[in-house]
Amino acid sequence: MSTQRFDQARPFATLAIVVLAWVFVPYVIKAFTRATFFEFQAPFAAAQSYVQDLQEYWGQRSRSKEELLEAGRSLAHLNSAYEFSLQEKEHLRVELLRLENLLKLPPLPTHRFEPARVARRDFSGWWQRLVIRKGRNYGITVGAPVVFVGGVVGRVVEVYAYTAVVDLVSSPTFRVAAAAEGDSRPISYQGGINDSFKAPRGTIEFVPADIFANQGQPRRLVTSGLGGVFPPGLTLGDIVQLEPSTDGLFKSGEVRLDPRLSALTEVTVLVPINPEAF
Amino acid sequence: MKNRDIRWLLVLVANGLFIWLNALANHHLAPFAVHLYLGGALVTYSALRLDFRHGLIAVALTGLAFDALEPVPFGTHIVLLGIIHATLHSGRRQFPRDEPIFATVVALIANLFLFLALSFLLVGANPRPGEAWLRLFVDLLASQIVVAVVMPWFMALNGRLLARANLHPETGRRVEL
Repeated sequence: MSTQRFDQARPFATLAIVVLAWVFVPYVIKAFTRATFFEFQAPFAAAQSYVQDLQEYWGQRSRSKEELLEAGRSLAHLNSAYEFSLQEKEHLRVELLRLENLLKLPPLPTHRFEPARVARRDFSGWWQRLVIRKGRNYGITVGAPVVFVGGVVGRVVEVYAYTAVVDLVSSPTFRVAAAAEGDSRPISYQGGINDSFKAPRGTIEFVPADIFANQGQPRRLVTSGLGGVFPPGLTLGDIVQLEPSTDGLFKSGEVRLDPRLSALTEVTVLVPINPEAF
Repeated sequence: MKNRDIRWLLVLVANGLFIWLNALANHHLAPFAVHLYLGGALVTYSALRLDFRHGLIAVALTGLAFDALEPVPFGTHIVLLGIIHATLHSGRRQFPRDEPIFATVVALIANLFLFLALSFLLVGANPRPGEAWLRLFVDLLASQIVVAVVMPWFMALNGRLLARANLHPETGRRVEL
């Protein structure tokens, strides 16, 4: 009877021993094992992404000459707009340099832009992450900001040999100091409202009471530059709802994020040129 | 030459393929804000068909492979999948464990347990947990439907892999087909 009872409990006893042994494994070994398991699976994600690129390439090859001519014309219009923006940027850069010299300010820390293809999207109710096809081989660092044409994508949280993991701006684990456009006072932003079949949203707290926004008149939310990770002025989303918070001193509300975030195929990593400055 | 018992490795390979397919599906479902969690399917064959030692090795390594891709404490799935494995293994003789329908029901219950355990563990990080549960409910519903549909195929895949290697799942003895 007792032997039979022990036989029934043996799987649980073995499991308890395995779990206890795992608990006492040093952190370094756990971190190494995690990286090993990730690296082992990374080529599969990258291969899937390369196959998609190939599909897109052959899809584009089937387009007619008329369509290509039309695309060329649109591109020419875009190029002329970008030319003008470049001239404007150069003028602003010279002006910034003049002011820095005048006020004897240290130069702003700068980044280099590293475009990367998205290998895998993993958007759940628990987390929102991307795997990109560039890692240590391109000098990507943990904490580097990631952006796209619509603004902030997120922040690099893990870097591997050929891939990196990005925590999205819509993830509940993503927090950043923000500001309403045209206002310098800091606001606390956190991602995390990701309803099914809808564009992602984020939450804001500690909004000054004299800032107003609603669905009809949204106000752009940008990075404040505080903390030094994100350069100031990058778009996070639009403030679409504000209500007084429980303390009565500030407001809290919701931010509508760019719906294109959930279908990203290419992003840009802002790699700090001088990482010690951050 | 000594014959090595690779049952755990074959099940691990099948689980690896399943994890990759799951990630591929989630990549394409991302624009619809729907996510599939299919962890319950990964433990069912090991727990119902393999012996305890090989099953536990396969489940532990699968758990580590799963955790490496997710922002959860490394080892979470060893504990969660291990509990399911031990529970099913200790009571499996009382049930028709060779039946695909029974395996599907077991996978659904296991998936429900894993999903709820992870949700309670992670939902606290959300700024509005109440709203997060609504999204999690939709994800759970989608995941359970997919588990119910793919489980017979996945059990057959594991069975075919072991049959190709001429190995009996429970004893590891060579069997001629």
